[in-house]
Amino acid sequence: MGLQNEEKLELGCSSSQPRSKKWVLLTVRVIAFLATATATLVMALNKETKTLVVATVGSTPIKLTLTAKFQHTPAFVFFVIANGMASFHNLLMIMVELFGQKLDYKGLRLAMIAILDMTTVALVSGGASAATFMAEVGKNGNSHARWNKICDKFETFCDRGGVAIIASSAGLILMLIISVMSITKLLNKPKSISS
Amino acid sequence: MIKPKRLLSLLLRFIAFGATLAAVILMATSHEKGTFFAVSYEAKYTDTPAFKYFVIANAIVTVYGFLVLFLPPGSPIWRLVLALDLVFIMLLISSISAAMAIAQVGKNGNPRAAWLPVCDQVTKFCNQVTGALVAGFIALITYIILLLHSIYNFLNPLFEKA
Repeated sequence: MGLQNEEKLELGCSSSQPRSKKWVLLTVRVIAFLATATATLVMALNKETKTLVVATVGSTPIKLTLTAKFQHTPAFVFFVIANGMASFHNLLMIMVELFGQKLDYKGLRLAMIAILDMTTVALVSGGASAATFMAEVGKNGNSHARWNKICDKFETFCDRGGVAIIASSAGLILMLIISVMSITKLLNKPKSISS
Repeated sequence: MIKPKRLLSLLLRFIAFGATLAAVILMATSHEKGTFFAVSYEAKYTDTPAFKYFVIANAIVTVYGFLVLFLPPGSPIWRLVLALDLVFIMLLISSISAAMAIAQVGKNGNPRAAWLPVCDQVTKFCNQVTGALVAGFIALITYIILLLHSIYNFLNPLFEKA
């Protein structure tokens, strides 16, 4: 009788409540992966070419071709790298949850997932904020430093950059939720292992 | 009298509070007059929204750090402190990242966008901003250590009795 009660208690603790939580966490991870992957792709493929007519010699106009690429600005490069790594991290976590239930290393699985989630939140927040402020300078210019705005000449570039930053911010909020859920899972795990 | 673990946590929080305070003060008092092609102007931290955000974010974290220093060890608010630590780490990271992005353009310029570097004309301003960023980094690392320390303490409550 006592053994049966103990068995029921152990099974009840580990399988009934976290099942729906597991699917919620997985869905949020998928959405976060889509958001960060979108941000990476949109910013990485962000390129605009513009030809300006500078002068006219006789009847042939001299054209000047200007390109705006994301590689010109280190902040955008960091943005692409950070969001790329976040997408990779989300994909890895989804795979581990779906296919690698038995993967464990000395009982540190939940701790490693929580710490990795926190580092990814840090990375994405850094990338998103740097890109936001660079985009703000590009859009409004800076009169004190004599930096002219470039968004009136390269509208498509700025629009796509804006979309990427919005997607990354959405991904950041979702990653923060995921991180909080991972830490909660870590702190609430059944402590019946060592005692 | 005071347990060594509590003393270490208190010391780290004091260091973090001091670092964010230093970052705020260094950034807020940085201004310099310079000439830019025979036009004189003054460089202040309010010229860029990124530096303003840096000052505001670090000020918020300074107030939070100051309040947490006086929290008694046994109260249940420490769980909330754990969550708030994560949120404020994110805030610190984003503020440092934004300020560094603008500072990098100010130091090296961006030739493709015809943005000239301004650090040659206002060297003292640039150095003080660099100092503020370094203080921000120290605060960030200290808060990360504190967060890991808090999670470790929550995971091993049995070890304290031994």
